[in-house]
Amino acid sequence: MTQTQRKALVVDDAATVRMYHTTLLGDAGFEVQEAANGLEAVEAALATGFDLFVVDVNMPKMNGYTCVETLRSETVGTPAPVVMISTEDRPGDADRAYAAGANLYLVKPVAPERLVRIARLLTSGPGVAA
Amino acid sequence: MNPLLAQFLAEAADLLTQVDEGLLQLERTPGDPEMVNEVFRAAHTFKGSSGLFDFPELTRLTHAAEDLLDAVRAGALPLDSGMTDDLLAAFDLIRGWLAHVTSNECLPATAGADAAALITRLRAPIGGEKVKVETTVAVARRDSAPAWLAYFDEEWLAETAAWLRTTSAQMRFIRYVPDSGCFFRAEDPLHLIRQVPALERLGLIEPVEWPEAADYDEYACMVAFVFAARAAVGEIDYLFRYVSDQIEVVDLDGDTIQRYLSGEAEADAAAPSEADEPGTVDTVRSSPSEPELVADARAILTAALRSLAINPTGHVHLVSVANAITAAAHALGDPVEIREPDVVALTATVTRLLGDTPPPEDAVSTAPIEPIPVDRGRADDPGGQVGSRILKVDQEKVDHLMELVGELNVAKNGLTFLAQAAEEEFGSRALSRRIKDQYSGLHRIAEELQASVMDIRMLPLSVAFSRFPRLVRDLSRRLGKNIELVLTGEDTMADKDVIEALGDPLVHLVRNSLDHGVETVDERLATGKPGTARITLAAVADGDAVVVEISDDGRGVDPTRVRRKAYEKGLISEEELETLSDSDAVDLVFRPGFSTAEQISDLSGRGVGMDAVRASVEKLGGAVTMRSELGSGTTVRLRLPLSMAVTQVMVFSVAGQRFGIPVDLVVETVRVPAAEMSRVLHQDVVVLRGEVVPVLDLARALDMPWTPDQTQDRAILIVGVNGQRVGLLVEQFHREVDVILKPMEGLLAYANEFSGTALLGDGLVLLVLNMKEVLGLAARVG
Repeated sequence: MTQTQRKALVVDDAATVRMYHTTLLGDAGFEVQEAANGLEAVEAALATGFDLFVVDVNMPKMNGYTCVETLRSETVGTPAPVVMISTEDRPGDADRAYAAGANLYLVKPVAPERLVRIARLLTSGPGVAA
Repeated sequence: MNPLLAQFLAEAADLLTQVDEGLLQLERTPGDPEMVNEVFRAAHTFKGSSGLFDFPELTRLTHAAEDLLDAVRAGALPLDSGMTDDLLAAFDLIRGWLAHVTSNECLPATAGADAAALITRLRAPIGGEKVKVETTVAVARRDSAPAWLAYFDEEWLAETAAWLRTTSAQMRFIRYVPDSGCFFRAEDPLHLIRQVPALERLGLIEPVEWPEAADYDEYACMVAFVFAARAAVGEIDYLFRYVSDQIEVVDLDGDTIQRYLSGEAEADAAAPSEADEPGTVDTVRSSPSEPELVADARAILTAALRSLAINPTGHVHLVSVANAITAAAHALGDPVEIREPDVVALTATVTRLLGDTPPPEDAVSTAPIEPIPVDRGRADDPGGQVGSRILKVDQEKVDHLMELVGELNVAKNGLTFLAQAAEEEFGSRALSRRIKDQYSGLHRIAEELQASVMDIRMLPLSVAFSRFPRLVRDLSRRLGKNIELVLTGEDTMADKDVIEALGDPLVHLVRNSLDHGVETVDERLATGKPGTARITLAAVADGDAVVVEISDDGRGVDPTRVRRKAYEKGLISEEELETLSDSDAVDLVFRPGFSTAEQISDLSGRGVGMDAVRASVEKLGGAVTMRSELGSGTTVRLRLPLSMAVTQVMVFSVAGQRFGIPVDLVVETVRVPAAEMSRVLHQDVVVLRGEVVPVLDLARALDMPWTPDQTQDRAILIVGVNGQRVGLLVEQFHREVDVILKPMEGLLAYANEFSGTALLGDGLVLLVLNMKEVLGLAARVG
């Protein structure tokens, strides 16, 4: 496992879910920040370089898809892994997430150990050499 | 309480209020898409958070409500008042549950039963129980019984068959074979079974042969269950939605069971076969973490393939996909190096990686997982919360801070005593001045600190108003009146104590308006008014006070009737009956024991009238007045201090004992030569600037023996109470001080003549007088 502390941003409008994800990732060794909607997430990403984003889909102000699109756009331009977690499991939702730039689309509930495992997996790769 | 649960409860309170307010708003402006969306969002967020906890009934009920709201949002059906009632009832029930959770950390035992009826009602408009296609368990309506019926005991089956045949009811029979590795996926079969609604019978399927102790794997589930329940299909589906592949549900009627029992219909298999047995030891994965990691890596690769197929547009996006691929390859132990990411090369790489690593036996990635029970040990540290800029602080902490500010004030006041002592006892005027300088510096800081803390305690009036839309709606329906409630000035801020204390008087006044003020639709139309009445709650800041007005356009108060009633009740004399002006007559409703309603309805309460309202408002240091015009409506005006945390009191002494009175009641202090005091009709009076002011002997009223020195001027404190000036004969005037008024507690709470106590800087406890009561006492003593 990597020793340097990875920074993660948890984006969810539900404060309890946010706290839950923050706690999980924090215990797994991440330095976690929170954002209550897409807009706050974009603002946070402009200020700080994150190594991982965990993003909810349904949020006020700016939803998850737009948020991820913005993270990938020139405005922010971060290639860091994005995991989207949603309560919705409708056909096409996953593709919307992948089109926006997410690296993995999960449907709630996600087992805590799985979220941690995926977070570690996605942040421990060697990355693109170029 | 575990912090995650505490967080949820705090969040839930906000969200539920939003839902309530939104629903009521929607009744006024039906179909407002913005509002529908807002309500849906609040409900959705609530569901998202509630799903983290093991409150299945809560999740089910919220889900049903959310589905209904979703249908409304999608325009599939209009929201009618019946649905609104059901939704409000659902969220009321949830609110009740959360109160129970707050004290007991679990839902009340009746939750399941309470929820069931509501869920059915909520689901009715959207076509009954919603059955999600992807999680539907195939319900086989079968004419032949499955072999596993043998696991139920025969006697019970026979009884049930007879019962089903007489009632032509149906029962669901379910076999649940938990995956042997289920514990690793946080599935808890026993817990699931326990939650089955209307469970009638449970049978256990043990393995044919239990393994030897040495070979025994306690982490593998080796048993399975059969059970019978009268639950709805949807309920079973929902409960087992994450293990839908592990259960089999059949609907059997009495005849089928009977045929099975008599052996007429051959069961599917003669006996439970080996294949029916749950997992044996060798199917358990040796190391559960490995395959799961592989599964996750594959899930990421599959997602990357999907992304590549959609054809990522931006370079950043492509780099992120490449990053994910290298990370997944790294995890799979098959590292790849990517120099320049391009769609074609990446697709080839992913395809190769996916081809090289076969999926693990149990594709974990596709298996959804149980809701996570709260891990009490892990949620201790919420971690850095940088995102939100608003701090939610426990009320108690702010209260404590306020107390400390109060103590700082007391300590600060101590300096003035010290300055006095320096001068009088030690004869050092210079030291006294320096202490006073120090005091003024400290005073400034203390004042600023106090202002900041008070600011934290300020809440908008909307907190006090928020319950009224609902209250008015419910009551007006019950009374059969049409009422529009208008709220204005909800942003006006006041101290939280004031807001809290305002609640009951406001409820009383609004109920009064609804009950007595506003006429029925027919009455209104007959007098040429619009059928819909209007009740207005308006708040406005006015200097150091906040003014709240409750007005209605109802029938108003009839002064003649009030006068007659007051006379009948012996509240006024015959002479007053003749002479009392209309506005004074209206004021009579505030007299204790007055009620004009011919019939006391259950709404306005019994025995507590406007006098209770006046008493509680005055207890807050406020005043209440009423204006009414017969036929066109009534306005009650409450004037309250913005804050009641710090009170400025004037200190004076009577019979050697110091007392305080709130400074805002003091009109002036005068010294009058004893000779200028006169007596009119057994009442001491003093003439001030041509006005005759009655003077009450405070010492006598308080039953404290004291005779003023005849040679000295009389010290008279002129106070203004209820718009009247009254003089109080006191011994000596002292300073004004800022104090935190503590209410009288215990037995002393009955001492109405005192509104509270305060600690002075020199350690003395100051009794602060409740002027109204004292004047009453003085009048009685004569």
